Amino acid sequence: MDKKLKIVGFLCNWCSYAGADLAGISRLQYPVDIRVIRVPCSGRINPLLVLKCFLEGADGVLVSGCHPGDCHYQEGNYYARRRMLLMKNMLEYFGIDSRRFHMAWVSAAEGAKWADVVGRVVDDVRAVCQTSEGTTPK
Amino acid sequence: MISAELKKTAKDLLKDGKVRLIIAYGENAAGDIVPFFVTGEALADKMVWNDRCYYNLTKYLTDKDVMAGQDGVTGIVVKLCDLKALKVLISERQVKRDRIKIIAIVCEGLKDESGRSLKKCETCPQGSPDRESCDVIIGEKSGRSAAEDSYGDIAEIDNLTATERKVFWDKYFEKCLRCYACRNICPLCYCRECVIEQHNPEWVSPAPSQTANAGFHAIRAYHLAGRCVDCGECERVCPVGIPLRKINRKMAKVVWDNFNFKPGEDTESKTPIAWYKENDPQDFIK
Repeated sequence: MDKKLKIVGFLCNWCSYAGADLAGISRLQYPVDIRVIRVPCSGRINPLLVLKCFLEGADGVLVSGCHPGDCHYQEGNYYARRRMLLMKNMLEYFGIDSRRFHMAWVSAAEGAKWADVVGRVVDDVRAVCQTSEGTTPK
Repeated sequence: MISAELKKTAKDLLKDGKVRLIIAYGENAAGDIVPFFVTGEALADKMVWNDRCYYNLTKYLTDKDVMAGQDGVTGIVVKLCDLKALKVLISERQVKRDRIKIIAIVCEGLKDESGRSLKKCETCPQGSPDRESCDVIIGEKSGRSAAEDSYGDIAEIDNLTATERKVFWDKYFEKCLRCYACRNICPLCYCRECVIEQHNPEWVSPAPSQTANAGFHAIRAYHLAGRCVDCGECERVCPVGIPLRKINRKMAKVVWDNFNFKPGEDTESKTPIAWYKENDPQDFIK
């Protein structure tokens, strides 16, 4: 059996968390390697939280928010998009495999998309963890 | 030539009493070029300008000890690279434009101890500092030509695999003493309380370790992304030779490629993570 991964998921309260909830209500199956942290908005996610996850030994991080234009607070996800783009590039540059950090737009109606996204993220992170031992922080 | 003009300018400014401090370059007993605080006409003769004036003096404009009691106008000597940092400071409302006199020097490029041109000077866009943003410009328009900045040093690292990149950086980060010289010299690291020293939450452990050191450098560079003007002071003062400009320049390139923004061009722009465009790149998002 595959090793269980620790992937931290930061989900905005209004779209992605509701989307994940819908996936549950709809009894969709998806991997259990993700731990969900509910935040008020993707714009609330301090990029240092993502960094901290990797420093503390998380295998992967997924940030998920509302689709552009759908943010409950009008523009939080636009700010998040810029911040996470910079953080993603920086992590890659420092040698954290790009497949370990993901961002997604999942709306409250997209339970199926949520299950699909988690599946793809877990596959990516698992691929990294199996191919190289050097990427997991000491 | 530039020295003489600099001294004359300083004396003129100090004479009428509006300017009571000019932050400039001087020479210490050992012959090193050091920051020099000119508080009177008599000291102006000891001002120095040469190709070893490395310091980015704009750091002192946000130093509460230096600026304590400076209720008048403060003069500041800048090179073109320092001027960019100063423009960012003004745009971030850390320095009031009407409280400073900018004395810009047309720099012909700096040399290290062995007489070689500094790496940052090879790709410096040169030319005179723009007239409208300075109060005094000393020197003629530079005749030197600059090489196009191809970011070859960044591409070298980008071309490595993730594991190789980690090995590359760990080799440097394991030497980091966490002396914070890079942060302390940076003109744009002006926060009174730095995130590095916060304990609740503790973002990164203050004890040196491979992981914590990498975390510190990531945080430092992230907070400068889209703000760093590549004056190179961090790399110059690093006692263990970590190539910090390679990190700063990578972030500058990412910001330019994605947001089409360069810091230090004017005194109005906001830092790129304080605004957005609806059509910002998002091909990395699922």
